[in-house]
Order: sequence, then C-alpha cells, then structure tokens
Amino acid sequence: MPDLISILSHLFSLSAVLAIVAGIGAGLVVGFLPGLTANMAIALLLPVTFVMPPTPALLLLVSVYASAIYAGSFSAILLHTPGTSASAATVLDGFPLTRRGQSNRALRIATFSSMVGGAASALCLLFLAPPLSRISLWFGPAEYFFLALFGLSVIGSLSTGGVAKGLLSGALGLLFSTVGLDLDSGYPRFCFGFSDLHSGLEFVPAVIGLFSMSQALVMAEASHQSIRRKDISVIGRWRIFPRLREVKVIKTTVMRSSFFGILIGILPGAGADISSWVSYNEARRFSRRPWRFGKGSIEGIAASETANNANTGGALIPLLTLGIPGSPSAAVLLGALVMQGLVPGHEIFDRHASIIYTVIIGFFLANLLMGIAGMYATRHLSHITRLPNYILIPVIVFLSVIGAYSLSHSLVSVAMMLAFGFLGFLMRKINMSPAPMILGLILGPFAEKGFRQALILSGGDLIPYLLKSPISLILIALTFLSVGATVWFGIRKGPKPAQKKEKA
Amino acid sequence: MKKRVLGDLLFLCLFVVLFAVPVQADWPEKPVKLIVAYGAGGGSDITARLLAQGLEKVIGQPVVVVNMTGGAGWVGWGAIAGAKTDGYTIGYINVPNLFAGYLDSRIKRSENLGSFTLIMNHITDPCVWAVRADSPYKTLADLMGAIRKSPGQLSIAVHGNGGDDHLAYLDMERKAGIKMKVVHNNSTAISRAQLLGGHVDVLAANVCEVFQQHQSGELIVLGVMADRRSPFLPDVPTFRELGYDLAWASTRGIAAPAGLPDRIAARLSDALARVIESSEHRAKAGQLGLTLDVVYGAKYREMVQREEQHIKTLMGW
Repeated sequence: MPDLISILSHLFSLSAVLAIVAGIGAGLVVGFLPGLTANMAIALLLPVTFVMPPTPALLLLVSVYASAIYAGSFSAILLHTPGTSASAATVLDGFPLTRRGQSNRALRIATFSSMVGGAASALCLLFLAPPLSRISLWFGPAEYFFLALFGLSVIGSLSTGGVAKGLLSGALGLLFSTVGLDLDSGYPRFCFGFSDLHSGLEFVPAVIGLFSMSQALVMAEASHQSIRRKDISVIGRWRIFPRLREVKVIKTTVMRSSFFGILIGILPGAGADISSWVSYNEARRFSRRPWRFGKGSIEGIAASETANNANTGGALIPLLTLGIPGSPSAAVLLGALVMQGLVPGHEIFDRHASIIYTVIIGFFLANLLMGIAGMYATRHLSHITRLPNYILIPVIVFLSVIGAYSLSHSLVSVAMMLAFGFLGFLMRKINMSPAPMILGLILGPFAEKGFRQALILSGGDLIPYLLKSPISLILIALTFLSVGATVWFGIRKGPKPAQKKEKA
Repeated sequence: MKKRVLGDLLFLCLFVVLFAVPVQADWPEKPVKLIVAYGAGGGSDITARLLAQGLEKVIGQPVVVVNMTGGAGWVGWGAIAGAKTDGYTIGYINVPNLFAGYLDSRIKRSENLGSFTLIMNHITDPCVWAVRADSPYKTLADLMGAIRKSPGQLSIAVHGNGGDDHLAYLDMERKAGIKMKVVHNNSTAISRAQLLGGHVDVLAANVCEVFQQHQSGELIVLGVMADRRSPFLPDVPTFRELGYDLAWASTRGIAAPAGLPDRIAARLSDALARVIESSEHRAKAGQLGLTLDVVYGAKYREMVQREEQHIKTLMGW
C-alpha cells in the first residue's frame, strides 16, 4: 500500500473532489427517479469517463453507484415507487411511515443505514478484499441453488395478506421467471411465438410495474387526495440524525444486514436486490417486533437500506481482485476499468496501487457525503407528498414509462411494465403482496440454473454432489430454520389481529 | 403586420433549414445511431464505444451508441434490419450468435441475413479453452488424454446454446470424438468464477476475456481456435498446430438495413476505414485485447455466409 499522504493528495485534488461531488449529485437524481437504475446511471456516464484520467473517472462512477442505490430509498419511502429496484423492500415499511406523516423518520433511518452499510463495505474492500474475494469462488452451482432456496423461504413470512396468497404470488413469480429462451437447449419457453420474449420477462420493468405503476393506479382510484393522510404540514423539526433511541432499535439489524449485504455483494451475479430482500427477511425473523414489519417498521427500512448499500462495496471486491463483477452494476464498472487499461487481478493492487487505493478511500468518503447531501435534499423533496394526486399520478406514470424504456431502448419493456402494473393493481385490490412475486422473479433463475448445472456436473448422482460442501449444508440448515421459525411463530401467536386495509 | 410577415419568413427559413437541406445534402448530415444488441459495459458495447469515439471525429457528427437489449439479441438486430435505409441507423451484428434466432426451426423469425446490408467486419475474437493455473492438465494433449480416459467426466463451462463457445465445443466433440459435461452460463464472468473455484475443469471463452489472466498466471490458456496464433497469446499454440482442424470465433461487424443505397454504404465504409486504420484505434484495440479483422462489403457477406453454412451442418438446423 502506498503511503497515505500521497493517496490523500490524490484524493483531495480538484478533479477528484469534483468527480465525487458530481457523482453523488448525478447518483441522487437518477436514484430518486423511479425506474432509472444504478446500472443505467453508470452506463450513461461510462462514455464520459473514457476521456478522463483513471482516478477521477473511477471516483465518478463509484460515487454514482453508491448514491444511486441510496437515493432509490427516497421515492420508495415517499411515493411507494422504488427509485431503483434495489429499494423495493424499503417500500414495505417506508411508505406506511410516510402515510402517517413520518417521512422524516423513515428517511433519516434509511440515510443512516445506507451510510453505515456503504461505509462498512468500503472498509472491507480496503482491508479485506483479497481474502474475501475467495468467497466468490466457493459458490458453485449447488451453493447457488441452496442460496436461492434460502431466499425463497422468505415468501411465507413476507405475505401480508395471508400465507396462501403469498405463496401464490411467489409461485407466479417463479413461473414468470421461466419465460424466455432456455440457456441449455435454446428452447423458447412460454414465449407463445413472441420473439421479443426470448430474453425473458425482465426484472426491472416488473419492479417498476408492480410497485410504481400499480401505485399510480391505486392513487387514481382515490382522486382529489394526496398521499399523506395526516396533517399536511411537516410534523415537528426536520431531524438529520436519527435519535439515540432509534439507533438502539436498529443497531443489530444494521450490523446483520451489513454482513448479508457484503456477502451477497461478493457473490457474482447476485446484486443489491437479493441482498436487500434476504436482509429484510432476516431482520424480521430476529426482530422482537416482527408484527410491525410491513406497517412501518424502522428495522425493516434499516435492513433493506443497509444491505443494498453494503452490497455495493461487496460487489467491488471480486471485481477488483479477480475481474469477476459481484453485481450487474459492477459488470458495467468492469467495462470502465478495462477501458482505463486497469486490468483487474491481484496485480492491480501493486501496479496501480495509488489509483486503486485513492478510489477505495474516495468510495468510503462518497458513502458518507451522500448521506449528508441526501438529508438536505430530502428535506425539500419530501414536500412532494403534499402534491395533489392529479399531479403526482401523471408524473409517476411518466417516470415509469421512461424508466422501462431507457433500460432496453425498446417499447417491449414498456409493455411489460404496463402489464405488471395492471397485475400489481389487481393483486393489491385482493390484498396480495407483490413482494413474493419479485422474489420469485429474481431467485427463480438462480435456483433453476444452479439445480440444472448441479444435475449435469453430478453425472446423475445428484444428492452426494449437492451435499458435499459445508456451505450447502449451512444454507440447508438456514432454510429449514427459516421455514420452521415462520411456522412456529405462526402457531404460537395464533391468528393475527385483523389487519387494517391500507389505501392511498 | 410587418412583424407577422417577418415571423412567417423566419419560420419558413427554419422549415427549409430543418427539412429541405438533409434531403439535398449528403450523408452524414445528422447524428448517427449505432445499435448494440447487448448491455452497457460488455464486450460488444466497449467495441462499439471505441468505434463511436473515432467515427465522431471522422464524420463530424455525433455517433450515439444505443444498447437495445432483449430477445436474445434480436431486439437490437431486428431494429437494425427494420430501420430507415438512410445510413443514420447502423449497428453491430454478432456472428455466430445471430444465427440461432432464425436458423433454429423452433423459432419462427422473418428476418435473416438478407435483412441486412453488411458493411464491415470489425473484430474477430477467437475461441480458446483455458484451465486453472494449478490444473493437472498443462497442455491440450494432457487434457485430451484425460477426457479420453474417462469420457463424460470432465466438465466445460460455455456461454449459452448456439453461442460461439458452444458451437466450438460441439465441433471439437465431433472432430476429436470426445464427450464432456457441458454447463451453460449467461456470462463468462460466472464461468470464470466456476473455473477458478474448481467447480468446472475447462473454461471456454474468447481471447479478450482471458489473455490478461493468462499473462498474470491466474489461468492457463491451452489453445486458440484460429488459423494462426493470437498476438495477445504468442506462447499459446493453435488447435490446428495440435492436430485439431477447427477455427471458431465471435465476430462483431457493422451492418445497416437491407437496401441501403450504394452511395451511402460506400461513404460509411470509407469513414469506418479511416477510423480503423488510425494508429489511435489500433493502439486502443490492442490494449483491450480486441483482434482487429477488417473485412469489407461483399467479402464480409461471404465470410458470414460461410459461417452460416458451417453452423447449419453442425447443429442440424
């Protein structure tokens, strides 16, 4: 590691500071706008960075990455429209708080958690990257299969409207995830002759549809109103930092979610979405107040937001050390590294040490700065919940369409988004949560691919192959615990008190 | 009143400038859209952005890279085929990935090779087989010996049915009479993680995806499926040298919709040639491990048709 003085002098040069500030600004805007994902933010800035020197170029991109994931929570909390798909789990508890006029509380928890999660992942990246990167290699097909199963075990407990509806929603998600060309055989599955479906039902349009578009429809039903039910004026003083009391409630959740976020970040292919859902479920399982989840639990917000930001640093670990991106956004960053002539691998830390360490420390700083910038921005931004629905609805629909289109530059994605929007609306009418469906859509392909690859590699002797690694055994145990705990708590607590129906 | 007339005149002038001039003038008079059928940050995207940078300078117009993803590539390729024949929408086609979409009878697609005007092949990235640095197989001969000894026991990670890695494996299977377990991944990064983690024995990839790891000793490239050795892997023999007569690669070239006027095609081709002949472009491509293989117009079409025939027989399509 080169000396600290030279790194700091690189970091506090004008170009580096400008890059971080610009990155945070761009990330906050893109993250806040529903549908514009962190991926896209990085991809849009990629060509800009080609003409920049490596240090500011990478600082710009990692700052955008961190702050876009963070800012996704703003619209998730304020409008029930996750700004990036990684914040979908934040909707479940963030929006109910907004409805009660406590958006400030939700936002400061989200900010605090994002900063801690992001900063923790940056520290891991700085000090532990080479050993941690080995984790990404331990996970073979069998381990991925069991990881996906573990994730899917959440479904039973995620269902707000009864277990049966939750399972149905999850099963539909799994079914949707099978649409498209089969990777192994090239067979078009459930495409019904539409070649546009060959790449499958895309995940991002599904999230935009199920959460954002369906929200616009729900709001359209109850016209001439605004989101916030209670007293319109901002309640109390705008607090930037969470209260000590709140920190005490969420501290274990934040620590646990940082762990899950970083771990899942390290795994190739599994991105911030999975981190956030897995942590959400674990927070609920270990919580002393599990009944508050889905109704405005600050632990729920903390779990989701800590994990999705912890994922960012985690995803950079195998990217820098092995050239294996730990998340879809990191895959775009790989393009940036390659274009800058920085070859990921062990030697990047020797040959380009001053660049890499400057970028990592800059990433750490960006995680702190984004929170400060975010809390000042949301102070004004949270007034949008006071806007009447006849303004908000068109804005949400407009952004949903833009978001879906910008992903693939094709109207097919927009059509998918609209279809999921109507589906989400109908589901919410019968009090069926869209969250299990999202989970099925994300995890289905992981489970299927893992299982089929294991089947091939085992040569037909499947069970010994699946059980040969300790990681698989741990994941199986966790899955049984997860399902068992859900059943146990369900029996012990007896029938839940009748749930109030929430309507916007 | 006078003002009104003046305003109308101005409007008329504007109208003339906006609409009349482009019809009269020659290509290029406005920004050019360069479609890439895969996502940002990937190999095709990087190639496209590199080209766009140079092309902007040569034609004096912005060149906008548009990633149109989905449909196993055909959302983007379909958009190229269906674009106006004015030369302002061009894009990359990827051979052999293009073929499965219309040759495979399970997929009924109306577009085919005839839907494109082929302008120029840009990159030919040969297929390679690689193993881990601590693998017991240090040469292709070692590996083939082990495969023959226990057929169907060793595994190889490839990139999707009908992709170049898979086709290369099938060809090898036929020509060398071998059998392996084939695992499909949707990204080479995941295949590489499976190789390094010891979950599979062989990685099928392309030169630009592994040459740096080969140099740094993280993995060993056993052979290159090309007519001659790759400049990026001078110490690695070709499969031909080792007695296996095959050559496979992933190629990326520029296409426009069928029926592009010859005049525009020629100008486009000239502009592309100026970009690709520049030392700056060559240096950058070299840095990225991209093997330039520039083939124009009719020759390019012949090259693609040859591959098409090759694949038809191999896959039985």
